[in-house]
Amino acid sequence: MKGKKKKLTPARIVMWFVLLVFAVIQIFPLIWLLDFSFASNTEMFTRGLLIWPENIRWDNYVTAFVNGHFLLYLKNSLLINILAVILVLMISVMMAFACTRMHWKLSGTVRGLILLGMMIPIHATLLPNYIIYDKLHLTDTIWALLIPYVAFSLPQGLFLTGSFMESIPKEIEEAAVIDGCGIYRVIVVIMIPMLKTSLVTVSIMTFLNNWNEFMMASTYLSSPKWKTLPFSVLEFTGIYASNYSVQFAVMALTAAPMVILYLILNRHITEGVAMGAVKG
Amino acid sequence: MKLRKAMAAGIAVATAFSMMPMSAMAEEEPVTIKVFSNNPDRTADQGLVEQTIFDAYMVEHPNVTIDVEALDDEAYKTKFKAYAAGSEMPDLVSVWGQPGFIDEVIDAGILAELNQDDYADYGFISGSTDGFSADGKLYGLPRNTDVIVMYYNAKMFEDNGWEIPATYDDFLTLADTINEAGIIPVAMDGGDKWPLYIYLTDMIQKSEGEGVLQKTLDAISSGDYSDPVFADAANKLREAAERNVFEIGFETTDYGTAQNLFTNGQAAMYYMGSWDMSMATNQDIPDEIRENIRIFNMPVINSDKAASTALTAWNGGGYSVTANAANKEAAIDLLNYMFLPENWTRIAWENGVCMSAQDFSQFATGTETEVQKQLMDMVSASTNVSGSPLGDLGTSEYKTVCEDTVQQLAIGSISTEDFYAGLSALVK
Repeated sequence: MKGKKKKLTPARIVMWFVLLVFAVIQIFPLIWLLDFSFASNTEMFTRGLLIWPENIRWDNYVTAFVNGHFLLYLKNSLLINILAVILVLMISVMMAFACTRMHWKLSGTVRGLILLGMMIPIHATLLPNYIIYDKLHLTDTIWALLIPYVAFSLPQGLFLTGSFMESIPKEIEEAAVIDGCGIYRVIVVIMIPMLKTSLVTVSIMTFLNNWNEFMMASTYLSSPKWKTLPFSVLEFTGIYASNYSVQFAVMALTAAPMVILYLILNRHITEGVAMGAVKG
Repeated sequence: MKLRKAMAAGIAVATAFSMMPMSAMAEEEPVTIKVFSNNPDRTADQGLVEQTIFDAYMVEHPNVTIDVEALDDEAYKTKFKAYAAGSEMPDLVSVWGQPGFIDEVIDAGILAELNQDDYADYGFISGSTDGFSADGKLYGLPRNTDVIVMYYNAKMFEDNGWEIPATYDDFLTLADTINEAGIIPVAMDGGDKWPLYIYLTDMIQKSEGEGVLQKTLDAISSGDYSDPVFADAANKLREAAERNVFEIGFETTDYGTAQNLFTNGQAAMYYMGSWDMSMATNQDIPDEIRENIRIFNMPVINSDKAASTALTAWNGGGYSVTANAANKEAAIDLLNYMFLPENWTRIAWENGVCMSAQDFSQFATGTETEVQKQLMDMVSASTNVSGSPLGDLGTSEYKTVCEDTVQQLAIGSISTEDFYAGLSALVK
């Protein structure tokens, strides 16, 4: 017998069963979302967990696309989120390097201060930020979203890249410097490839948080020009009751890019979070 | 340091871009009116009426562009505060003619005064503009008259031999009978909380009749809720919940779910405002239910004081022009256009969306739904109207506390005494 052979012991059966239950609980909301997006508004409130729609209502998706300005909002969402991710990655790597590798008096304090940013609730900043943007004439521009999205994602970005960077042996950089490598080259050629897992994590987390953000977007934007996908759901909100089935279709469409992205990068995310957590 | 410079540069560039269209706009002939509305869905209900009128106005005035920004109530109120703090207030805004909202806004000088003489021929129902006025000055126009009614399924009533209750006790007995038949008596949207304080106001109205509004206002200004009618009404709400007049878990049932309990035939009655008369034209609702939707007014509790024609009704939402609007004259012109009786009143009534706050009887076509006809009769026969529901008569903080505690009262987690003590402590 080579090592442990995978037998169907009772313990294994129990483990599989537990895992299966968790998997179903995790996936169920997505199935439910898809299922309801094909139903009509009245079918939605019938009893039972899932609906078997009488007619599959593809028109929910057509309405979502046309009346929900889906393509415009998708373009805005993608542009703003991709820019935010790029900025967050650049700034967090540089900050992490400055705070963990460079020796200066206040490096610890500065890092602590930036990490404190994680404790600030978004709602507390809505009004003051609005007034600042208003004075600078930034409301209803792409900057009105980009600046807070980057700012609120930075503490987490610094935290993850910083703790990951501490676990990389200094000797590698020393060797590079001895060979005549400048500081920017050290970061780009040596550090970034080694930080890959944590950078993927930071990207995904930034993307996920900002993809669904609505409070700031609704406060800082007023014209449709830069509105993001969560506004699409709003287009079907009535004063008392809403067009729920179309909202489900919009949400399914909004969630799809995220689910696909997550499936592709799944391995990196779990690795990245775990590695950042147990710094050496 | 570098980061800050980069940011500053970015801000400067963005400022330059955002300034350009603004300065260009003010000088030229074309006018852009910015509208901030609380009707996000522009293809149904009041959002549709609003948009229909705006589109017509733009056809008649080719130089005018109307930009609508719409958010739902909660987001609307947050953004309204942000706008009020900034310098780019939209021209025409949605407002609520209740002290909890409008008093603070008028005090802050945000709304423009309207010329009352403009509206002499508009047929506004007397008293409907009171909520939008302060110190004899008019600051806004109401868009609808809301009446709380009991919707019921006429076919279900007939099939089971149930009668429309004549007294409140009959109503409770009926609820027991319906429960025995395994059907929910009344679908209640308790998750949104405000239907519960409307129920409470309705109870006061049905036992007190005249003077509900004054009594409530007096209690709020003095903090003295000792008049027995208040405790009695609260006990009645609690009793109704205890006897399962409402569905189980009503405190977490939201608007759509409550409505659908009724439109799916799981509930025999549904307690909601007159705006839901649009159910009778909603093609998503199965025919046999849609065509059998009827209404009755909550039966009286004390027939010595209250008449069966007394209604719990109010004028909630409306529109105002802002004091610092970039295009104030144009916005007032648009507002006046909206409320020409043949616009808002006619379109809202003909589409079965809501009753306006103006005289709509001239637009009666005879082809209205049964619910509309019943409502029309009910309103024209009304002898007494409550004014605003309890929660809408104080500050916004009062409203929040009232909403939270009335829900706790209904599920029995606080007593009637604690409920009023809480309100009293807040206003003292």
